[in-house]
Amino acid sequence: MTDLALRSENLRKVYRTKGAPPTEALAGVSLEVQRGERVALLGRNGAGKTTFLRIASTLLRPTSGRIQVFGYDVDQTPEKARPYIAVVPQEGKPFFHLTPREQVYTYLRARGLTRETARARTEEALEKMGLTEFANRLSITLSGGQRQRAMVATVIATEAPLLFLDEPTIGMDPFARRSVWEAIRTLTRHGSTILLTTHYLDEAEALSHRLYVIERGRVLISGTADDLKRSVGGTVKVLLPGGASLFETFRSFGQCVVDGDALTIIVTPERLGEIMELAVRSKLLATVGPVTLEEAFLRVVGRSIDEN
Amino acid sequence: MRTSDLPPSTRAFRGLSAFLWTEVLVQAHEELAMATSMLVQGVLLVFVYILAPALLGVALVGAILYSTFTMGSRVLNEAAYVRIDHKANDLYLAGPMSPEAYFLGMAGGILVVYLTPVIILGILTMVVVHLTLLQGLLILALAATVWVFSASVGYIFSTFFRDNRAIWAYSSLFFNVFGVLPPVFYPFALFPAALRPVALLMPPSAAAAIAQASLGITQLTAGELSLAVGGLAVETTLLFLFAIYWARRTVRGD
Repeated sequence: MTDLALRSENLRKVYRTKGAPPTEALAGVSLEVQRGERVALLGRNGAGKTTFLRIASTLLRPTSGRIQVFGYDVDQTPEKARPYIAVVPQEGKPFFHLTPREQVYTYLRARGLTRETARARTEEALEKMGLTEFANRLSITLSGGQRQRAMVATVIATEAPLLFLDEPTIGMDPFARRSVWEAIRTLTRHGSTILLTTHYLDEAEALSHRLYVIERGRVLISGTADDLKRSVGGTVKVLLPGGASLFETFRSFGQCVVDGDALTIIVTPERLGEIMELAVRSKLLATVGPVTLEEAFLRVVGRSIDEN
Repeated sequence: MRTSDLPPSTRAFRGLSAFLWTEVLVQAHEELAMATSMLVQGVLLVFVYILAPALLGVALVGAILYSTFTMGSRVLNEAAYVRIDHKANDLYLAGPMSPEAYFLGMAGGILVVYLTPVIILGILTMVVVHLTLLQGLLILALAATVWVFSASVGYIFSTFFRDNRAIWAYSSLFFNVFGVLPPVFYPFALFPAALRPVALLMPPSAAAAIAQASLGITQLTAGELSLAVGGLAVETTLLFLFAIYWARRTVRGD
């Protein structure tokens, strides 16, 4: 097996619907995911993340470009790539009339695992996802978050070499999200590779070795979360409520963003002292914190991740 | 050995038995659907029993064929529902399980669970009509053929819908027009002569006509019998092969 789990070159996808202009969902996406990596595709709704994931997981044909999974061409020989992959589909749900235990077990059996292995992995996955207590209840009686955990349990139990997770923690409470994160980390420690989409910035930062920021079907930037944050031009964020009118005064220190009457300045730590001095002289209250991925995303994309 | 290294014949049915069992479990948990699966047949049998008790045997054979025919409606609803609402296609088909196994497993699981009414009807038929072994086997083969046809139609149609609500009307229309209106529950001889070739090209009524002829209830000309047998065999085979092709074809969207 090659060390490159996934490679796409200039991948394009144009949706053509009768009576509507063609929509370019992917406009030449090139990316690579090494074996054992956790990589996040980060982007707003409609950026092209799910389209990329669907093509990579053999469920959608690209318009042009190439994409390979462990060296197998996904478009030309999807049947060769499929044994290596498993996918948590966006908005996927377990069968409502199966219990989580039946769901995971039967899915593993359908993938060709032996009874013993399937049974052992089912119990392990249910425990990891905190579902043991609900394992014998029909999924129709579970909450949305519990159903999503059942979906994730189903897929992580496969221990497939390459897992595609499309918004895997959507609808989950913070504790459940952390369980999923831990399970995903464990999988990569055991050699699996993860490509996930998310619009939770904290999830992308906590979980991924590398990120690709996608907007309008294009990769705008890639790197580690720290690389992205450094691209903002500073590592410290100073928030000055009521400081918007002093935009000109502060703009020489670094990147300034006005939001209502507040002013946010991104600076290097060396210049923090000067800013604080100026803020005190201007009788402004200042809040200092580290630059987050949110600022980086805002700078790269030009819009907040939640903005449609 | 990896799945991709397996010879094509083995790979085509990879995951079939496990997915069939999955579908059996899913369906078996829906007790109400199981309990009501005999409703239409039951009501029609009661009507026939009250209005024309002499035709009860015909109606019972028709009810067997209708029961296997309506399994296609369940395949249609289930396949569309789990694809649209649950994304089960994505979960199962982005993996080593084959699309053929997905289609056949779903259809087979539904068959297993809803076979009980057919068995009950079979026993009743044997009591009322006094079937010979050959007649019994023929009706069984016809019911199986109608099941293959309807499951194929159901699966193919399921791929065209994007909204579950739209399915209910079409499903009900299709399966009642093809299963109740033509001579399935009543003798083929009562059907207008000019429309008989049409009825013989519809698999449920073609199967019913063959069954009725074998029981001596209906007389078919050699041409009519050929049309019924040939039409049933050719349509079912072609549709089944197309369903297999379509199952493979629709794994990936364009």
